[in-house]
Amino acid sequence: MSKCNRYKKDWLAFINGQLKPSRIKEMLRHLETCSVCQEELDQTKELLSLADGFKHELKQVMSTVDWEALPGDITEKVWARQEQPVRAGSSGWQVRWKWQPLTAGLVLGLLLGMALTFLVIKPQKPDLITAKQDSRINLPAGFVERVDMKLARRDTLDYLERSQYLLLELLQADQGRESAGLLQPDNIQKLLTEKKYLNARLEDFQLLKAKAICDQIEFLFLELSQLSPELTAAELEKVRRMIEENQLLLKINLVKKELQQSEV
Amino acid sequence: MEQENVNCLETQIELLVDLVKKGDKEAFMRIVSGYQQKVFVLAYSMVRDREDALDLVQETFMKLYEKIQSYRSGNNFQAWLMQIARNQTIDFLRKNKSRKQNSHDGLEMARTELSSNQDNPDRFNPKEMIHKAVLALPEKQRLVFIMHHFDDLKYQEIARQLQIAEGTVKSLHFKAVQKLRKLLAPQLGGSYE
Repeated sequence: MSKCNRYKKDWLAFINGQLKPSRIKEMLRHLETCSVCQEELDQTKELLSLADGFKHELKQVMSTVDWEALPGDITEKVWARQEQPVRAGSSGWQVRWKWQPLTAGLVLGLLLGMALTFLVIKPQKPDLITAKQDSRINLPAGFVERVDMKLARRDTLDYLERSQYLLLELLQADQGRESAGLLQPDNIQKLLTEKKYLNARLEDFQLLKAKAICDQIEFLFLELSQLSPELTAAELEKVRRMIEENQLLLKINLVKKELQQSEV
Repeated sequence: MEQENVNCLETQIELLVDLVKKGDKEAFMRIVSGYQQKVFVLAYSMVRDREDALDLVQETFMKLYEKIQSYRSGNNFQAWLMQIARNQTIDFLRKNKSRKQNSHDGLEMARTELSSNQDNPDRFNPKEMIHKAVLALPEKQRLVFIMHHFDDLKYQEIARQLQIAEGTVKSLHFKAVQKLRKLLAPQLGGSYE
């Protein structure tokens, strides 16, 4: 089949009556002599007729639809769908809300546990370590040290005083006469035991002068402890000489004075 | 009548969209009411099944609601809505394999059926074939053909709704007719070159 493109683009407008009358007459004259264009026109008309047939079917189908009710139905479905995630979200929120006290309790417990753990095992300041070691009470180490020092001085003073009394009694004791008071073996032994306890504290607090005199007193008491309560003249003389040569009473007084002064 | 409603609606569409964005149910219902038949015409022209077309109308407006927040004021609302409808319908045709038999694509199926029927004009069912032929058109040609022949819109109105030149609409329509003539040549009782 040969081609004819002369009016090819106008046949639709021709069918729809959208052309000027003069153009329509011109095309009608052409159709009388051109079978190609006549066939194209017939096919196009038939095609549009088919389209009209489909449109008719479409209109028939559309007439069966309730267009007034449809918007409401669609809107309800759209709203129902959009509310589903919200409901799911709200139920999720409710679930979370129900678990909130438990969660809050757990979190609070964890926080408390962490705080307590921190308080128990936290790194302590150096000046508190000594206090912790020596006392369960959380006091400044300086305070505890001062108290310990004071107690050590008092114990030392007490020891020195009682030793001083004993030494004075020794100096005043009569030969062959059994001592009725401080020179009893129990008292001596008691002072020796006390000295052992005092040694560590004298070293700890570096009470060197006090320790030196206490050591001499201890040595004397050791000698006495090996003697019988009833001292012989020689034994008594020997002890007295030790006391006097070592100037024990003087030294005791000096140390006592130092201890008392440093205590102020 | 419906076209008048649409024209009236177009003057209010920006306000209605704003209201829908804020969750106004009534405004959404008015939009559905104004455009439902246009969407139905498009959907039915492509699926040729009343219930499927109604489902597609519903799906289109559901999708519209999902996307409404992304609609920007000043855009062509109807063109945007019809684009959603086209996408929903094409998705439907692709997913609905039971109706496609051995084909993977509804449009391809239409082309295949049309070519196979060329040898058997006795099987020619005019409405079925014009439907399949329209389905086989390129998208823009199909849209213009549907709007002009099934929705009774003038070239000028199509141009306005699609925001393209009227000359472009005429050209697309001419190409659509030529293509349909070619696809339906055996059934139309003639040859096509």
